Amino acid sequence: MRYLANISGLILCAAVIMLFWAETAQAYIDPSSGSYFLQILLAGLLGALFTLKIYWRKIKAFFSGKDADHDAGQ
Amino acid sequence: MTPGNSTRLSGSFRDPSGFLFYREQILYRQINQSYRDHYDLLMSSGLYRELTEAGMLIPHEEVHIVPTDPDLAYTTIRPETIPFISYPYEWCFGQLKDAALTTLAIQKAALAHGMVLKDASAYNIQFHEGRPVLIDTLSFETYHEGRPWVAYRQFCQHFLAPLALMSYLDVRLGQLLRIHLDGIPLDLAATLLPKRTRFSFPLLTNIHLHAKSQRHYESKPVTSDRQMKRQGLMGLIDNLESAIGRLNWKPEDTVWADYYEITNYSDQANRHKTELVRAYAQKAGAKTIWDLGANDGTFSRAAAHEGASVVAFDFDPAAVEKNYRACRQNHDAQILPLLLDLTNPSPGIGWSHTERMSFIERGPVDLVLALALVHHLAIGNNVPFDQLAAFFAATCRWLVIEFVPKNDSQVKRMLSTREDVFDFYTGEDFERGFSAFFTIEEKSEITDSVRTLYLMNRR
Repeated sequence: MRYLANISGLILCAAVIMLFWAETAQAYIDPSSGSYFLQILLAGLLGALFTLKIYWRKIKAFFSGKDADHDAGQ
Repeated sequence: MTPGNSTRLSGSFRDPSGFLFYREQILYRQINQSYRDHYDLLMSSGLYRELTEAGMLIPHEEVHIVPTDPDLAYTTIRPETIPFISYPYEWCFGQLKDAALTTLAIQKAALAHGMVLKDASAYNIQFHEGRPVLIDTLSFETYHEGRPWVAYRQFCQHFLAPLALMSYLDVRLGQLLRIHLDGIPLDLAATLLPKRTRFSFPLLTNIHLHAKSQRHYESKPVTSDRQMKRQGLMGLIDNLESAIGRLNWKPEDTVWADYYEITNYSDQANRHKTELVRAYAQKAGAKTIWDLGANDGTFSRAAAHEGASVVAFDFDPAAVEKNYRACRQNHDAQILPLLLDLTNPSPGIGWSHTERMSFIERGPVDLVLALALVHHLAIGNNVPFDQLAAFFAATCRWLVIEFVPKNDSQVKRMLSTREDVFDFYTGEDFERGFSAFFTIEEKSEITDSVRTLYLMNRR
């Protein structure tokens, strides 16, 4: 648990640094600053995992002969 | 027609892009000038057509009437009518999960057409013709690469947090949605969820880290950033889809499950009761029906035989879940199963008590079915017959009601653990109490049982 707490602390510190590149958002609902920064922080990792997932599906589809784009999600 | 005939919907005030109003009992939505570009893109990009053809967005037609607020108006649309509005705290686990997955599917389709959901409220989803559909045509905005998803917090609070709590802890925690109108606060969900959920990557990120991040940045300015690439946003949606997809709840695992296998009806009695319900519903010519205490929906289906639409309410999450699964499996679009405790029905809540309608406000309907219910209310909740009759009279024109006498095994079981203070509970008293509000049109003893079925017409 302490290990996870350290990771989340590092992640939040990195998000503070990103404040320097930030600009004001327009929305009628409250997006919550914390929700915004978490997305920015996770974007790289989630984007990379998603790219890997799509390629993995394509590789699987190549060998199985099925359509990879059918459930690739984009 | 003039704007003077219009009545704005009390719950339609948050979004400055437009609002809903009734005129001549028809529901319209005014779209304001401020939303013009987004609406035009929705219609021209192919997104509207794709989503309506897939049954995920409510279809509408543009109408040329005098706007309700001409200073703001761009255009007015008439959306297809949803016969019964339900709320997330009335949905079973499967309904909330399907609503969440539909919201994410819409978000993915929107991104593919250069748009994005600007809100992700569970109240924007309704069950229409057996499936979840987005009813807010103003939920889309133009996507600008680099911007994080503005509705991410709302999605997690309205869908992910309640589903995780229902799945990991207790399905009844879905009722927290009735208290928290904008979804369950993530710090509350993170506190309640078991520690092992931190080892699930989607729940670690979208609930636990999300709650920490919200706490850390509380009261700091809301900002966006150019760093969130489109692929990152797609990854976030995929991560949320994984989170929702992995959450499950099986009614078979609960203490309620066996109860519904036990009935005190013989096959013969069941057949006779089904025939009577069907005949009474036909005689009433009912098109809209509420089945109160519907259990798994067996008699809702009998009543819906002639093309009526039935909302099948039950207080038991397991019964509603089973009913919903059966409807999905059989593509039964006539039945809408919902969760409702009749001893404490959904109140009017939200701003000024009018943002979300109470249960009774959503009626009255042509016919109410109250089968194997009276003893639960009169003995289980001590409600006198005249008050029961007054309640039913406020909900329907026709009433099919079953009287379960004291010598019935279910009533005997209920009275076995408490003192019998119910001297008023006789067939004569039942008829007298209901006769103040209803005329008894038909009465039939159910074969091979001690129960009686009535068809009553409101005076």
